[in-house]
Amino acid sequence: MIPTQYYLLLSAAIFCIGVFGVLTRRNALIFLMSVELILNAANINLVAFSFQHGNLSGQVFSLFTMGIAAAEVAVGLGIVLVLYRNFSDVDITEATTMRW
Amino acid sequence: MAGAFDFAPAIALLPFVSFLVALFAGQYLPKRGALAGIAATAGSFLLSAWVAITVAGGETYNEALYTFTAGLDAFELHLGLLIDPLTALMLLIVTLISLLVHVFSLGYMNDEGETGLPRYYAGLGLFTASMLAFVYSDNILMAFMFFELVGLCSYLLIGFHFREKAPPSAAKKAFLVTRFGDYFFLIGVVAIFVTFAGATRTPGAFAGEGSFPVLAEHALADGATEGLNTLGFEPDTWFTILGLLVLGGVMGKSAQFPLHTWLPDAMEGPTPVSALIHAATMVAAGVYLVARMYGFYALSPTALAIVALIGGFTALFAATMGVVKQELKQVLAYSTISQYGYMMLALGSGGYIAAVFHLTTHAVFKALLFLGAGSVIIAMHHEENMWEMGGLKDKMPVTYWSFLSGSLALAGIVPFAGFWSKDEVLFEALIHGFGSEGGLGTAFLLAYAMGLLAVFFTGFYTFRMVFLTFHGEPRTETARKPHGVRWNVKGPLAVLGVLAAIVGFINMAPVRQLTGAHIDFLHTWLNGPEEGGWPAELSTGLHHYEEVLHDFGLVSASYPLGGETGTLLVSAALSLGLALAGVLAARSLYAVPEPVEHTDELGSIKTLLMHNYYQDEYQVWLATGVTYPIARAADKFDQGVVDGVVNGISSVSLFTGSRVRRIQTGVVSNYAAFITIALVVLLVVFGVAGGWF
Repeated sequence: MIPTQYYLLLSAAIFCIGVFGVLTRRNALIFLMSVELILNAANINLVAFSFQHGNLSGQVFSLFTMGIAAAEVAVGLGIVLVLYRNFSDVDITEATTMRW
Repeated sequence: MAGAFDFAPAIALLPFVSFLVALFAGQYLPKRGALAGIAATAGSFLLSAWVAITVAGGETYNEALYTFTAGLDAFELHLGLLIDPLTALMLLIVTLISLLVHVFSLGYMNDEGETGLPRYYAGLGLFTASMLAFVYSDNILMAFMFFELVGLCSYLLIGFHFREKAPPSAAKKAFLVTRFGDYFFLIGVVAIFVTFAGATRTPGAFAGEGSFPVLAEHALADGATEGLNTLGFEPDTWFTILGLLVLGGVMGKSAQFPLHTWLPDAMEGPTPVSALIHAATMVAAGVYLVARMYGFYALSPTALAIVALIGGFTALFAATMGVVKQELKQVLAYSTISQYGYMMLALGSGGYIAAVFHLTTHAVFKALLFLGAGSVIIAMHHEENMWEMGGLKDKMPVTYWSFLSGSLALAGIVPFAGFWSKDEVLFEALIHGFGSEGGLGTAFLLAYAMGLLAVFFTGFYTFRMVFLTFHGEPRTETARKPHGVRWNVKGPLAVLGVLAAIVGFINMAPVRQLTGAHIDFLHTWLNGPEEGGWPAELSTGLHHYEEVLHDFGLVSASYPLGGETGTLLVSAALSLGLALAGVLAARSLYAVPEPVEHTDELGSIKTLLMHNYYQDEYQVWLATGVTYPIARAADKFDQGVVDGVVNGISSVSLFTGSRVRRIQTGVVSNYAAFITIALVVLLVVFGVAGGWF
């Protein structure tokens, strides 16, 4: 049996990759994917602890998270679409009009 | 069965209804609201008569009608009615004068083709209504409210001809000067509530158990100061201060020195309004207020002395100015100030009856004189200068004879009304001056001396006015062919002319003293039953006041000249002699076919008198030379320091805001970076603080 720490390390690694992507990438689609990575890092944590404690509620929780992630992707893609319409590009650093 | 008191609220409500009718429907009525006003005041007069008859039967009324604020375990504020003999008398006077003034206005306003009449009659209605409500207020807060309404109405009516230059200015002056006095009155009202709120639910009430004069008396008599808040002063000192604060409002309204300056200017209003203001409503309100809360003033010798001195001084001071005036209404204006000075003198020197008596007779003869002057002014095509008149005696006999009756009453010639009342005022001041100890007696005697001297001037200016207006040869074309007046002018004049001759008979104290006959009806009226009855219940009876005056006011009487009868006769002879001397002096100077302005011989004194002792000048100087710079300095302080601090703080915020907002780049990645960095920093901080490493 694989110790829980490994799952946690995996989760932390995926989380860091996701954060790195969010901070560095300018393409909105990649940005969205990075957010998905962060979410799934959390999912891995939930499942790992659920397994550790022998309690299924964590796994149920992760199912919900996946559902929410699907919805979030739909919204995110919608935003990307609008972004493209308004700025003829999907570069997020171009869209700086929502400030003072 | 419903008694008179159930209908008493209607006495004030009827004129109020006429105010509404004239205001909203006056344009469509045949006489522009005059008939509504006449009907309403006639109704009020009849109701007042009914109330007076009921009061004569020994009944009084002191009830709260509408409570608008009532705290738990605290005091309450309410509107209510207090009807005792004083109220009943005053209601009769006010409604009678108001009724006659309404009738007279038909001649003075309608027949002269004035415009804006609905506004005029609405003003008269509201004026009468507020004065009546003031008269039967049962607490000082309600009295204050209607006192202010009276002031507002005088403003509206004095400024009736608002398109001309002088009336609006006079109206503003009347409003501001009386408001200056009312400011002190307001503080006084609040202070009375603060003082007595702990001891009763009705700290502002005028009469009955739990009213402030009664509580104040108990505090001084038994030391029952529990629940009273005297702000750290001795009770007697504090009650004096309260009385003097309220006196501020009285001085403004009753035109006492130095707040009298508004009254001569108020002559800019239509003449019937002047009659109403001077005889029954506005100016009478101040003196009436002192009479109403006399149980409170009588507690303080200092307040009494101040009231007496102000009254005596004002009586003399105003009478001297009346001597040189050239306009009919100006002379009457100064005589009003002077006569109200007599009332204050009487109140201050312990002559409660004398003051009420003089208030009554003065209301009658001063209304008469103003209406007479109005009649002359109609005849003279609105010329008011007496030097343009002369010889009107034969052309307008009704006006002449009634005006003469009023003048004799004003000058104080026996047996006209003014003689009896003025004589009693002076008599009371004299005996209390001799009887009271120390400074109080001196103050009374000083006030008496001034009042006595004013009698001569009163006789002089009154008959100077009569001779110049009615006697001699007509001095202008208008005076040769005066405009006729109709029944609506002559009727009120005739009624008042007869009253001015006979109203003094209600209290002929000297005759009573000589013959022993009980003909001092006013005395009996204000006295109440000897034992028990309403005075004990309301503590507004004369017995009670006399006791209070003696025990706490330290006022007592003594008769320096041959006992009571001797003093009475000497005093009466003295005032009558001085009045006659004044009349004769006026006669020798002005009752000639071609009178000349003898006042020129006075030289610089005339200039001083014509300028009203420079009272207006110094008050204007006070406003522009003192108040204005202070106000400007305060404005500077407000704009500079107060606003400066506020603006400084906001400019710091603005500056920081303009700098800090630069972190808002609009780039999502930057925000994400902030969040990440913050998270990392937090983790490190928690880690270090929590000892993870």
